[in-house]
Amino acid sequence: MPMINIQHAVHATHRAAALPISVFCGLLALMPTAVAQDELPEWLRARPGVGLVNRRDCQAMADLVRPVVSATGESIVQVICDGRAVALGTIVGADGYILTKRSELTGDPIRVRLADDQLLSARVAAVRRANDLALLHVDAAQDFRPVSFTSDSPAIGSFLISPGRDARSIDIGVVSSPARAIQHEGRLGVYLENDSDGRARVERVMPSSGAEVAGVVRDDRILAINGQSESSKNSVMRTLHAMFPGESVRLTIERSGATLELDARIREFGLMQESENDSKVNGPRNSRLSGFDLVLQHDTVLEPDECGGPILDSSGRVVGLNIARAGRVVSYALPASLVTSEMVGMLSEARAAAR
Amino acid sequence: MENRLKRSEQPQRVLPARRVSLVYIAGLFAVVLFAAAMLPCDSVAAQEFAPLPPEVTNSVVQPNTVIQSNSSDLSPITSSNSSGGTSIPVTDSLSRIYRNGGVPNSLQEMRALEAQQKLVAASAMDCTVSVQIGPAQGCGVIITGSGYVLTAAHVAMRPNKEAIITLSTGKRVRARTLGMNRGVDAGLIKIDGGQNEGRPWPSASLGSSDDLVPGMWCLATGHPGGYDDGRGPVTRVGRILAVRPDAIVTDCALIGGDSGGPLFDLAGKLIAIHSRIGNDVADNLHVPVVHYDYSWNRLAKGEAWGFLPGFKPVLGVSGNQSVGVAQVVEVKPGSPAEDAGFQEMDIVEQFGDAVVTDFDSLKRAVADTMPGERAIVWVNRGGQRIRLLVEIGRSD
Repeated sequence: MPMINIQHAVHATHRAAALPISVFCGLLALMPTAVAQDELPEWLRARPGVGLVNRRDCQAMADLVRPVVSATGESIVQVICDGRAVALGTIVGADGYILTKRSELTGDPIRVRLADDQLLSARVAAVRRANDLALLHVDAAQDFRPVSFTSDSPAIGSFLISPGRDARSIDIGVVSSPARAIQHEGRLGVYLENDSDGRARVERVMPSSGAEVAGVVRDDRILAINGQSESSKNSVMRTLHAMFPGESVRLTIERSGATLELDARIREFGLMQESENDSKVNGPRNSRLSGFDLVLQHDTVLEPDECGGPILDSSGRVVGLNIARAGRVVSYALPASLVTSEMVGMLSEARAAAR
Repeated sequence: MENRLKRSEQPQRVLPARRVSLVYIAGLFAVVLFAAAMLPCDSVAAQEFAPLPPEVTNSVVQPNTVIQSNSSDLSPITSSNSSGGTSIPVTDSLSRIYRNGGVPNSLQEMRALEAQQKLVAASAMDCTVSVQIGPAQGCGVIITGSGYVLTAAHVAMRPNKEAIITLSTGKRVRARTLGMNRGVDAGLIKIDGGQNEGRPWPSASLGSSDDLVPGMWCLATGHPGGYDDGRGPVTRVGRILAVRPDAIVTDCALIGGDSGGPLFDLAGKLIAIHSRIGNDVADNLHVPVVHYDYSWNRLAKGEAWGFLPGFKPVLGVSGNQSVGVAQVVEVKPGSPAEDAGFQEMDIVEQFGDAVVTDFDSLKRAVADTMPGERAIVWVNRGGQRIRLLVEIGRSD
């Protein structure tokens, strides 16, 4: 039956082929024109997303650019926390240092899978909260191959290539807008006022917020955050504003005369307000999408666990590091200039501590 | 339905649902903006949240009661207007990919494609505009030096509405909606005269949607999520996946706020206008530019007609024309009218901007709204005038 063959063809040419939708799309695109449209089932005729072979992100495009990314592939690792693949990592030191996305390091132990499939234990050697970077170190008696960053910054409309570990997968996109800073939009999700003693009293809890999930309720008094006592609404707000999305805070709360401790996550404000429909069209995203000193915005369709890896121009030069899948049309990369300056500081800090 | 093809899904379950999952992309954003503006934020309860972006008020817009039905009967789409423009010559080395689409044969060809994308991206900026009508925000593209702006019908909403156009430079100008073919989601806006010191507006070169084939490369610009002056227009590059008489499907990813924005071919010519999306990141629908040409005269005169299948605005009340007033005989269960608190015997007196005199005028007023739009409705209930807020629903 021809359908089986087509199915195989699609499987062979698409890295994400294990799903029925792509099979059916491929089927429609490859179907002989002799088949009358009205012989097709209605849903298949109505399907507008036909033609996987015609997509920008098709396998033929990935194959085309493979030669320019293969040299970097060896420097890309997968980062695994508590048995789960959470991010990619970029090797930046021959002595075993790897940059990755800090907010995805949510469980222990941390391990990295190298291009050659070795699985090694890693530890966090330095972090830069402001740009969501972590420097991992793996202790192994071998030389690692670091990437070298270019100082050139690609113009709008330039192709960008995001390889996976060992360049097994390759995602393609373009630069969408000029590099800019993204203010962080992290919120605990409480509206506050001062009570008669001048303490911060919760007036309202935002639905879908970290505060709601943690069980914060109206009239709770916030006495301390992460063990630091807070004197007023303003001091609570100041402390919370310094926290980035994805980070956790320990709240010391007074409720009906009793004191309790609650752990709450800082979340993206935009995600708390989002409708179900927005959430569907945006698809899976990272927990931290904002708070970067400088980003290159691009339209590559990344999975959240594909951040932390290098992003290359069409000549294979490393122009940045993917830092967030932020929405349906938005992925962010930290440009090479920013990564380099953060990396230099982190490496010297980590190497000094190791001596 | 998932928006990534990497996820496993059962087609039996997902695919039939996707037809109804197409959403207007500016309409969606309008709802979000509205919800944000509704957040209570009084002086007593200090909030931890950042202040909302400043609302655009209509006070800068001068009242203007006449729709300008403009001098020229000639559509600018066929009259090959060439002042300024976004057109970029296509070299021989790129002509195969330009005309037939497809994957480049070599890295060299890919870099030629890339160089062309960069040129088109740069030239597409100036004519890409943000369109703000009330709380809703979408996009548009200027196509003549005199200031005709193509947009989506659901961005323009109704003829003769005041609009604020923000250019990529941040300059804001007044405009007014003209006509719209809601059957394909094509809308027209005209920038009010006398706002550019006699100079022509930057405009897009017009292409044709006749020669489009799946696999062709294209470039989308717009303001996803609304206008952001720290960012400007956002460029996306993709390929045409399907060409239908009423819509072009591409994998240039769009989202709320992009509606009405331009889709260009590799020669920098305008081929379509962003309209709506499905959940999958490759389901992005655009109105072929040829539809503006077909009905240019009606659009320029400010006519509005048609419904996009599945996007017919619905209130959910029935009544009789013969009684002389718009009295509600039945409120349909689960309808927008029921959610808004309509009751039987209510006499509708005003619907949004429209004064309602009888049931037919109520039907016309509803037909002039967009699904997802919120309208303030005044009803007379037993001699008392009551204000209701209804969110317009949709049906086939």
